[in-house]
Amino acid sequence: MHTDHMHTDPDRRARFEELADEVYEPLQRYLRRRASADAADDAFSETLLTIWRRLDDVPADARLPWCYGVARRILSNQRRSERRRLRLVDRLATTADGIVPAPEDPDPFPEVRVALAALPERDRDVLMLWAWEDLAPREIAVVLDTTPNAISLRLSRARAKLADEIRRQDERGAGHTRDEAPTRDEIPGEHGS
Amino acid sequence: MNDDLETRLRASDPMAPGGTGEVPIEAPTSPEGRRRLEAIMSTPTTEPSIEQPHEQRTEAPRASRSRTPWFAGIAAAVVAVIAVGAIIVGSNSGDSVVAGDPMELSAGPSDALASCLAPSADVLRDVEVAFAGTVTTIDGEVVTLEVTEWYVGGDAPAVIVTAPAGLEALIGSVPFAVGDDFLVSATGGVVNYCGLSGAATPEMQAMYDAAFGG
Repeated sequence: MHTDHMHTDPDRRARFEELADEVYEPLQRYLRRRASADAADDAFSETLLTIWRRLDDVPADARLPWCYGVARRILSNQRRSERRRLRLVDRLATTADGIVPAPEDPDPFPEVRVALAALPERDRDVLMLWAWEDLAPREIAVVLDTTPNAISLRLSRARAKLADEIRRQDERGAGHTRDEAPTRDEIPGEHGS
Repeated sequence: MNDDLETRLRASDPMAPGGTGEVPIEAPTSPEGRRRLEAIMSTPTTEPSIEQPHEQRTEAPRASRSRTPWFAGIAAAVVAVIAVGAIIVGSNSGDSVVAGDPMELSAGPSDALASCLAPSADVLRDVEVAFAGTVTTIDGEVVTLEVTEWYVGGDAPAVIVTAPAGLEALIGSVPFAVGDDFLVSATGGVVNYCGLSGAATPEMQAMYDAAFGG
């Protein structure tokens, strides 16, 4: 008879609880930055379950980034199946991946999120992990399963793209919606980089 | 990118700690957090096992926000493990299981005997659940079989086989059709494929008879 008593192992429970203390809240923030409340909650439980099952694979020196990597894959699978399910209904709305602000969130720099959303996903990924999850390139490399060098390169390109995109947003907005805003000539970096 | 842009990017975090837009975060020590963690830690470290019988569904621990079939599956697994135990114990002691409730099995992502040993009576003898049944309904990912004979692991009049969300196609691994007779085995609440479950062909029936003494 097949037996699986690992889930009753007290040592395994203790190790999981200890890891959960570290990652429980950051994982929720990670998911809520990228998905609606319900989708994030589902992905959160599935992420925890995967971590529970793969507890022996969690690298001691990069526990949280590794867990972010699990959450990222689960969210990505969730989106794929959601798109399949809803491909005939309101597809545009469901493919708006990326940034999901809280409804009451008073965004101080709306142009930044608009610009982020306009970037390719691979650029947005590294920027969000760097600025919002506050990870170093070495840690981002664990999440995205690549090398720190590749991440440093991607990060620097993504920053440049974001700056360009924000500049485009600023230009688009200038002149008709920003009475109090500086003119284009006064915006730092407008003619540089 | 200049420092100003970095500042703006960081300030644009919709989940910035202390921000007025921050949504409540569940603490691992909160009642909801404890329930969620207990449900997770009660789940076998292989694949989700059996679904719990209907009458126990309302008692399943679940996080307050989690209303989807997926998390219900985890919560179910908690009760399900108990349910499997009860069914197995019940077959000896004659209590714990109310005859008349259908047993529920999962056509899981991978079965517990996923190594696909060559099907044989010897392999079959080790399964936890085995029965002969006739398919009565197929509703999407849910197949109901009326049990004609229990070989091991239960005494329910019917068995419901459900594929987890998104894995409906797995039902296709065992090509169920209404009215057909099947021989089904399961381990850990998950239907065994690999030639251990399927249409009740003479060969299959012979293997089941050899395994369970006809």
